[in-house]
Amino acid sequence: MKQILVFVLFAATFCWLMFSPVYKHVLLIRQALLQQEADYLLEIGASGRFGYIDNGLLTQSRERLAGYGFQPERLEYAVSSTSGEPADDSASPLERGTGLRLTIRYPYDNLLDIDRLIGIASAPAEARLTANGMKMSEYVPW
Amino acid sequence: MAKLVFGILMTVVWWMLHALQIDEELAMNTLHEAKRAVDRSAHAAAQQLDRERLETGRITLDPDLAEDAVYAYLRANLRLDADLSPLPGSLLKERVVIERLEVIGDDVTFPYTYRNESYNYEVTLMRPGVVLIAHVRFPRLFGVLAPIAWDLKGAAETVYA
Repeated sequence: MKQILVFVLFAATFCWLMFSPVYKHVLLIRQALLQQEADYLLEIGASGRFGYIDNGLLTQSRERLAGYGFQPERLEYAVSSTSGEPADDSASPLERGTGLRLTIRYPYDNLLDIDRLIGIASAPAEARLTANGMKMSEYVPW
Repeated sequence: MAKLVFGILMTVVWWMLHALQIDEELAMNTLHEAKRAVDRSAHAAAQQLDRERLETGRITLDPDLAEDAVYAYLRANLRLDADLSPLPGSLLKERVVIERLEVIGDDVTFPYTYRNESYNYEVTLMRPGVVLIAHVRFPRLFGVLAPIAWDLKGAAETVYA
């Protein structure tokens, strides 16, 4: 009887202890994958052959991330430049010296909900996993 | 009673393992992010050609512009203020210190090998470039790990066809 009582008292904590590492791990891996993707897009986009990140590149990026289990339509990309020029126009690439900024966002997907078992409020609905970076364009017009 | 105490003790041990795992994974993320920031800063600095000398056909770098670029790109990539102290939302909690910033212009002969014994770093440049070493401290979420700090090294050459 006493053991059942203890189990009931600590059930939420036990559940949290058993399952929360899995959720945390998924979260960290997703963050790392987003960061890796942002890094790759910047490497390509800022290279001398591109100087921009246009929709074609973003579509390919969505496909790559979908391969890891992300839902492509929920990925949000933001591309900008330090000079204020549009950075997603393949007809007018950013010239050398201009920084190319990229941010990728993805919802938390209720991965933090399990923390409510031990009384920590989960992230608000508008919170996003975020990966970003800024790299200088290498493009030089001929 | 003994079982209850055992259960609580195991809970504590289990929680410390969680904390250790989360901190270690975060440390790897922070290391990679900071290394990328250092690489991008060195890359941006290495594109700062000295325009006046370029007119005379010499391809070399402008050290002042290169330093500005290093600061600007470290700030943008790691979310730091002008002093390189972290802003809200940054992964870091302590100031980033630039230990070395070497702008290698055309006054040396290429291939040029940069050596730094004290940081155990060696890199060979084929063109004018920049070597950057920055000291970054990892903010531990929990006190389970020993304190971690890195001397992150990055080098980049100027890019031209």
